[in-house]
Amino acid sequence: MLEKTGVPTEQDLAGVIPPRERLARGPVAVIECFQRIPCNPCYTACKQGAIREFADINDPPVIDFDRCNGCALCVSKCPGLAIFVVDETYSADRALVKLPYEFLPVPARGQEVDLLNREGRVVGRGRVERVQNAKVQDRTLIIWVAVPKELSMEVRNIKVGDCQ
Amino acid sequence: MICVQRTEIAIVGAGPAGLSAAASAASAGAAVTLLDRQEQCGGQLIKQTHAFFGSEKQYASVRGIDIARLLTEQVRALPNVEILNEATVLGYYQDDGVLAFEKDDRFQKIKPERLIIATGASERTLAFPNNDLPGIYGAGAVQTLMNVYGVVPGRRVLMVGAGNIGLIVSYQLLQAGVEVAAIIEAAPKIGGYLVHAAKVRRMGVPILTSWTIKMAHGQDAVEGATIWQLDEKWQPVPGTERELEVDVICIAVGLSPLAELLWQAGCAMKYVPELGGHVPVRSELMETTVPGIYVAGDVAGVEEASSAMVEGRLAGLAAAQSLGYGLTDAAGLIEEAQRQLESLRCGPVGEKIRRGLAQVGR
Amino acid sequence: MSNQMSNRMSNQTIICRCEDVTLEEIQNLIAEGLTTIDEIKRLSRCGMGPCQGRNCRPLLMNELARATGQDVREMKMPAFRPPTKPIKLGILLGQAGREENCQERADRGEGS
Repeated sequence: MLEKTGVPTEQDLAGVIPPRERLARGPVAVIECFQRIPCNPCYTACKQGAIREFADINDPPVIDFDRCNGCALCVSKCPGLAIFVVDETYSADRALVKLPYEFLPVPARGQEVDLLNREGRVVGRGRVERVQNAKVQDRTLIIWVAVPKELSMEVRNIKVGDCQ
Repeated sequence: MICVQRTEIAIVGAGPAGLSAAASAASAGAAVTLLDRQEQCGGQLIKQTHAFFGSEKQYASVRGIDIARLLTEQVRALPNVEILNEATVLGYYQDDGVLAFEKDDRFQKIKPERLIIATGASERTLAFPNNDLPGIYGAGAVQTLMNVYGVVPGRRVLMVGAGNIGLIVSYQLLQAGVEVAAIIEAAPKIGGYLVHAAKVRRMGVPILTSWTIKMAHGQDAVEGATIWQLDEKWQPVPGTERELEVDVICIAVGLSPLAELLWQAGCAMKYVPELGGHVPVRSELMETTVPGIYVAGDVAGVEEASSAMVEGRLAGLAAAQSLGYGLTDAAGLIEEAQRQLESLRCGPVGEKIRRGLAQVGR
Repeated sequence: MSNQMSNRMSNQTIICRCEDVTLEEIQNLIAEGLTTIDEIKRLSRCGMGPCQGRNCRPLLMNELARATGQDVREMKMPAFRPPTKPIKLGILLGQAGREENCQERADRGEGS
């Protein structure tokens, strides 16, 4: 199905979403990379040793959720922009999603934006909490967006309206 | 008389393969002349604004535009490489081993001891009614227009082809603020990397597999397109037609190796659909059936830029070694390059390439 | 496929855009009995324009394969001759060559 539509199925996602207990402990990476392709920068980017060394460069990444601290270094290093960090402990009713972003306009901190799912459909509104744009990210920004907690595994993009 | 210049190794094409070949051959000690028709080196890398896949050894996670700069700097730093930009190779004369090229409005000749052909590939087109309307482009052409010249092709695009080029150019169109109405793909599956597909899907762009273009519409330019669905036998299904209002149609249906110099040189060629068309029969060291003529990159079989760079390195080393250079460590470096190629191609996306390569061994 | 196309008289499918050769022209030539890229090229100029067949050759090969049942893998390819792109005759003749010719003629007392 994924290879027909470009959208991962529930089943695809079940294999990469961290366990509930881990999500309850704070930020963690969700690697939505489902295809065997020759690529390994996530492994070389990870300073925590959370992404296992690739025996074969075509292997999909294997992450040790206990080692991952959700630092998001891998998010801007992934050439497929397929890594997101989810923090379900952000507040009582909000989760934080850190997502890669390469579009204009760049949202401002505090700005309300549309929240989009994996098909680009608007599923809600959220608030930009931070915009990371360090040199090491090489122009792939990381947007921290606070989303309704039940949407933490839905929201994978934002749509920034015209600046207010 | 037009005097004939001489060089040890001439390389045609300064894309990822040619630049890598120049770097490895010159590092081994050979005198290299690198010819390219553009004013800057890098080939198609100069418009690849996205980060590349692969491993660190092939600049993974670095943007193509930056890889072009890094490779060019590396080659420029080598004193034994002469770079001839804006030099279009016009032909190879097999009887006397002379390469003819045009530069500075002059017809010039160079006779190399070894020749590496790294001319790349050209975009394929499609036959459909009104396919000559202005607004119908190759996807690569649109990428050049946008990322090299800063010009957007229109307002709303139909992308034909969901291979990596179709997916990447769709993403870059979106980045440039152009709407992408849909990406259609005749095959039943998305051909490009699924992470690229996911990127455009979460921007709201539909990808329709088993769909193709029926015709374009418009008076003086594209005003729309009719698409229709294909059945399991790739036959269009009447009644499934859909109209799309678009002012640009991008064709991203694959590349064909630019092999004319190899034909002129008399290299044994083979039609291998898995590699994009006619490609040269060659050895594991990338040497064709004409001794002293090597190939690297898309002209040897359409593949990713990561493999093109490694093939270039391999061809450069092999050519230099055959001239007596780099004898101490060449064997190790060659082995390392071959290992890298093997690992890049050993996964499922490399399956087609492996099938193709099995047909062209010398 | 071809029936549907001929129904739409105003709609043309271009095979060779350099030389404006349509699919219909190619199909007519094949119907007349031509079976090779070279024959079609010589009669229609398909592939003889500025791009030297880079765009149209794959399309022509597909059409030939479809209409005649030939295997694309076995299809006889045309000769690939220099120059690979159109250049001015003056450039082909060469600056140096031109000067020398003038000199030679002057030496022979023919003026220039």
